[in-house]
This record gives sequence, C-alpha cells and structure tokens, in this order.
Amino acid sequence: MVENQITVRLDRVSKRFGDFTAVDDLSLEVRAGRVFGLLGPNGAGKSTTIRMIVNITAPDAGTIELFGKRIDPRLQDRVGYLPEERGLYKRMKIVDQLRFFAELKNVPGSVIEKRIDEWLDRLKLTEWKHKRSRELSKGMQQKVQFIGSVIHDPDLLILDEPFSGLDPLNVSLLKEAVADLKRAGKTIIFSTHLMETAEKLCDDICLLNRSKKILEGSLRQVKSSFGLNTVALRVVGENGLLNQSSLISKVEYHSDETEVLLKENADPQELLRHLIASGAVVTKFEMIEPSLHNIFIEKVSEAQ
Amino acid sequence: MRKFVAVVKREYLQRVRSRMFIVTTILLPLMMSLFGIVPALVLSINAGGKSRIAVVDQTGKLFSRFQSALVEEEGVETPSGMPNPARDIPGATPPRTDSPNDVTLQDVSDPARTVDDLKNELDQQLRQKKIDGYILIPADITEGGKARFFRGNSSDFFISRRLRNALTRTVREQRLIDAHVDPATVRQLDKSVDLVATKVSTTGEVRDSAAGFAFVFGIGLIMYISVLLYGQVVLGAVIEEKETRIAEILFSSVKPFTLMTGKLVGVSFVALTQLAIWGIAIVTLGAYGISVMASRGMPASIPRLPFVFYIYFVLFFLLGYYVYSTLYALVGSIVTTAQEGGQLAMPIILLLAVGFYLFLPVSRNPDSTFAFWVSLVPFFAPITMLMRIITQTPPFWQIALSLGIGLSTILLFTWLASKIYRIGMLMYGKRATIPEILRWLRE
Repeated sequence: MVENQITVRLDRVSKRFGDFTAVDDLSLEVRAGRVFGLLGPNGAGKSTTIRMIVNITAPDAGTIELFGKRIDPRLQDRVGYLPEERGLYKRMKIVDQLRFFAELKNVPGSVIEKRIDEWLDRLKLTEWKHKRSRELSKGMQQKVQFIGSVIHDPDLLILDEPFSGLDPLNVSLLKEAVADLKRAGKTIIFSTHLMETAEKLCDDICLLNRSKKILEGSLRQVKSSFGLNTVALRVVGENGLLNQSSLISKVEYHSDETEVLLKENADPQELLRHLIASGAVVTKFEMIEPSLHNIFIEKVSEAQ
Repeated sequence: MRKFVAVVKREYLQRVRSRMFIVTTILLPLMMSLFGIVPALVLSINAGGKSRIAVVDQTGKLFSRFQSALVEEEGVETPSGMPNPARDIPGATPPRTDSPNDVTLQDVSDPARTVDDLKNELDQQLRQKKIDGYILIPADITEGGKARFFRGNSSDFFISRRLRNALTRTVREQRLIDAHVDPATVRQLDKSVDLVATKVSTTGEVRDSAAGFAFVFGIGLIMYISVLLYGQVVLGAVIEEKETRIAEILFSSVKPFTLMTGKLVGVSFVALTQLAIWGIAIVTLGAYGISVMASRGMPASIPRLPFVFYIYFVLFFLLGYYVYSTLYALVGSIVTTAQEGGQLAMPIILLLAVGFYLFLPVSRNPDSTFAFWVSLVPFFAPITMLMRIITQTPPFWQIALSLGIGLSTILLFTWLASKIYRIGMLMYGKRATIPEILRWLRE
C-alpha cells in the first residue's frame, strides 16, 4: 500500500448518549500500513469511537470513511476487531468457534481450516484445538480471541487493550504477530491507556480526553515537540534537593534511576551545578525526550 | 446470507449436539412407553396365571350368569342382539375356556354344608394358595343382601372391581327375571344408545368434527409444550452472547437483525428436530396401540380430514411457535441474565394459557364477532383460527389476514428485539428500563 493512503477517516464525528456526549466533534485520519495509537484515560471516548468505526453504532453527526468509502456493513468483512469486552462460547470447541467467526466474515470455506491451523500453531494452541473454551486459561482464551479477530486476514485490525491480563511471554507472542501484520501492509488501530505499551508499538498517536482530541501526530513529532526537557538522573546523596528545586516541575523515582521533568525554560546545567554543589554524587545525567506517559499526564491535567 | 446460515448452523449444531438435547429427546418417548405400554404389557403378562376364585352361591341360580357376565366385563362384548346361550339357560353351559378371561370361577356351593364350614375350608385354601379368593353370595342377594369377597395377597386389585360389576349385572338381571321379565327383553331394554354426531357444513360436506376437535386440541397442546420448552431456549440463545460478552465481536461482523433471525430459525430447527423425533416415536407407539386395540376388536381409525386442513395445521403451528419465540427473544434482548429473563417471561405463559382457553368459547360460536377478532390476534390466532377452520371454515380472506398479521408481528418483534439488543449490548450488566428502551427505539 502507498504510504500516504488513508485507511480510516473521521470527519467531525459526534456521538451522544442521552445528555452525555461520548465523542465530540472528532476528526482524525489513520494512515495505511501504520500502527495508530488511540490513547486516553478511561471514559475518554475511545471505545465509542472504535464502535463507530466497526459499524456497531452510528455517529449522530459527521462522517466516517473506511478504505476511502462511506462506512457500510459490507466493509465489516475487511475489519478485524478485538473489543475490550470479549468472550468465547464456553461450551464450544475452539476450532468450531474460530470457524464460526471466519464464516461470519465471509472467509471462503476452502481456506478456513488451513488458516485456523496456521494461527493455532503460531500462538502455540494447537493441542487445544478440540478443547472447549471453558477448559482454557484466561490467557489462552485471549489468544483465541485474538485469532478470531485476524482469521479473515483483515486490512484493518482494531485492538482494544489486547495485552491486558497476559503474561510477558504471550505479550511478546502477540506483539510479534501484530508486527508481522504491519509488515504485511495492514493498518492497525491500537487502543490503550497504558502509555509504555503504546510508546513501543505506535507510529502515530491520537490522545483523547473527555470526548475531545487533545493531541495527535506521529510519535516522533509529538515527542520532539515537547523538546528535551527531561533529565534521566542517577545520583546519590541529593538529600531532597530535587523536590525543593525551583527548576523542577516533577520528579519520578524509578528503581534504578530518577526522571526529572524540568520547568519551562529551566537550564539543566544549573540543576547539575546545584547537585554537585550540594555534595551529591552524580553518576548519570542525560537529557532525554519526555516519556509518552509524562506527555499524557501533562496534557490531560492541563486540559482539566 | 452466508452469515445467516453460519448463525443458524451454530445455533442448531451446538444445541443438537448438547447432552441435554440428546437426553430429553430419548427420554420422552422412553417415558411414554414406560408409562403407556409397560403397564399394559405387565397387566397382560399376568405372572400369576389365572386368578382362581371360588364362589359360594347360596341362591343356587346365579353362578353361571355371573360367570358369563364376568367374561363380558373382560371387554369382549358379545354382539348385541344375539342371544347368549350361557345367559339364557341357567346352569346349563360349561365355562368358556377360549375367552381371554384370566379369572376362573369355581362353584363350590354345597347346600349340605353351612356357610361357616365352607368359609373355614376356603380360608385354609386361600392360605395354602390353592385359590386366590372367594365370594360369598348370600341367598338374599336380590333383596339387598351383601355379597362378600375375600382375597389373598396374590390376587390383583382390579379383580374386585370386575367381580363387583359382573355381580351387579347378574343380580340386576336376576331381579328382572324374578319379576317375570323375559331375559331377551331385559337385554333389549338394557342396550345403550349410540349418538352419532355428524357435522354438515354450509358447503354441504359431511365432516368428522370430533376428530377435528381432537386435532386442534392436539396442535394447541404441542404448541403449548414446545413454547414452554423452547421459549426458554430462545431466551438463553439471545442472552448467551451478552453473558459471554461475545455480542460486540458478533456485531462487528453481522447485522443484529441477521443474528436475531438466525438464532430464532436455528432454535426452531432444533425444536422441529426434537418434535419430529418425538412425533415418529408417538406415531410408532400409536400404531402399536391401534393394532393392539384392533386385535381386541376395538374400532380405531385415523380421522379423515380434507388435505388443506393439514396445511393449515402446519401453518398455524409455525405461526404460533414463531410469535411466541419472538416474544421470548424480545424479553431476552432486554434482560442481561437468564434468571431475570425467566421472571419477565411469566406474562408470555399467561398469554399462551389465555389463548388456549379461548378455544372453548370460539368452538361454541365460531361465527361470532368475538371469534373473528380473537382469531386475528397473533397470540390467539393459532388455536382460535384453527378451531374456526375445523368447525365452520371462515372465508379464505380471514385466514389469509390472520396469517398475514401473524407474520408481520413476527417480523416486527424480531426487528424490535434486534434493535433493543444492539443498543442494550453496549451497556453490559445493567437491565434496561422501559423509558430507556423507548428512547432507544426513537433513536
């Protein structure tokens, strides 16, 4: 696919439930072949936005285009969706459920079995093929649900909190699968409130808060627009200096180092001088870009 | 269309393969044969052989008539009007040995011995199981004296009733003979009257309306049972995706209306499969029953009705089934758990019961305005319209109108159910209130 093709375009979309506005005048574009992060705190309107894209609910105002066409139930077959609220038929065998999901997406009967076997093998579930889903662990069920959302080889894949509740091994298994899909030219919309995950996966992001868009662009752009205002620090004996310093707006202690967000126009060199003058031993002092997490918190609290 | 088929297929296969389905499907005919055939078989086996009953006839003239009366009690009627020699010539004929009578009577009367003496001996025989019971017929039996029956443990309970009936008859006849009434006249007077009811419809055709009644009643009963059984299944099917949280995945692939109709049709196929299996079992059992009855000389035939009636039976049965199952689907779309659904479904059963009872007033006055309107209401039409068709076939346009209204109701309910379902799905774990539902429908 051509790099600048648009897979999803929302134009001034609004959705209300009674008096509550879930999505307010939202416009956004998801470029083909990219991983698009739809980010925001709980209740920001992410799920409602996604439900409109997959044609479960219709917007009250505005238009939605998929693959350059007005949204239409027939386009649903080209979209894969893993909702946050997801389940499986408890008494159905895994292979039967996957076949059912594939049939609902109009996958030709001749390829269904092959696809199921391939995916089960890839996510290490082959031996569970003929088991009923209630016999599976939660993590395994989640992998089956993931297969259900990609079994029809969709051009657009929408994942809502896909990794929640998975162990690291399975997370990396799924991440690899997502990366492969991206390499195959698929577009992926990834919704989460976990910024660390988003930071590692997304090419582009859109930050929603209280039903409005407050930030968007490629991850690169967004981060650099915030400039080098963060210091990664490893220091011994600072004696609370960081918390008192007038140069610092926020201190975050990690297990082996400290991240310090500088105030606007504060000079990092001055902070270093202060630290050394106080007798602290500085073993690391590095200017870094702000984490998506910090950007998120800054933008969200700014908006409130 | 392929998606619809996929939904139907899943609903059908999942349910037909379930242990519950297999068990209930096999269990019902099994129970029926257990409760219907086995007792009959067991009774006809009669492990103890013939019951031997001794008779002390102090009147000295009742025994042989008593014996032939007992044979008739057996169910083998002597053709009416034909003289029965055993009854005409008292004490002349030996007991019939070729009859299916499983009771042998033995006259042990001995005018030379006292009753107490005989009784002592018979008690002893009873204890030794030489006889299974004995009857003391006092000399004043025709003047109101009481006969007494003593039975051992081995004699079966049905015998006393048969003996009483036979004895009553014998004594009644004896009283008439004592009054010098000719036995042939007695039988002539005693004959019961047959009332043959034949319906002549306006078109002049003669119709077996009793059979029609039975059919409508049967259809109503089957509908009642299948709605009770499968209404819950429909409810469960509609709630299933809410409880398992699959609804959102499905709606990203298939239209709610397709899903809802797919579910209804899938479950109805399950119901029809089960009913068909049961039907075959019942017909087989019924054929067996008829052949048994026929072998005993009882008239049993399959009622004859115009062919078009059978088409109406099928159509109105399906109509009734779908009207009620879409009602259940509607309930299922509102609630979030099966328990809640069960409570909310109570009025449906009430509606069904009302429809069933309307069968009576409609059968009395099938041409009334009341019958006309009631047979157009989709909840009542299946039974009441069938009743009208059987008793006094209404003009075709009325039948067609009733079917049309029913079909529209089914579609409307399905549409409503899918709409409520889709919106309700977005609010997991909370049951919708009526104002909320009305608001959704306006959206």
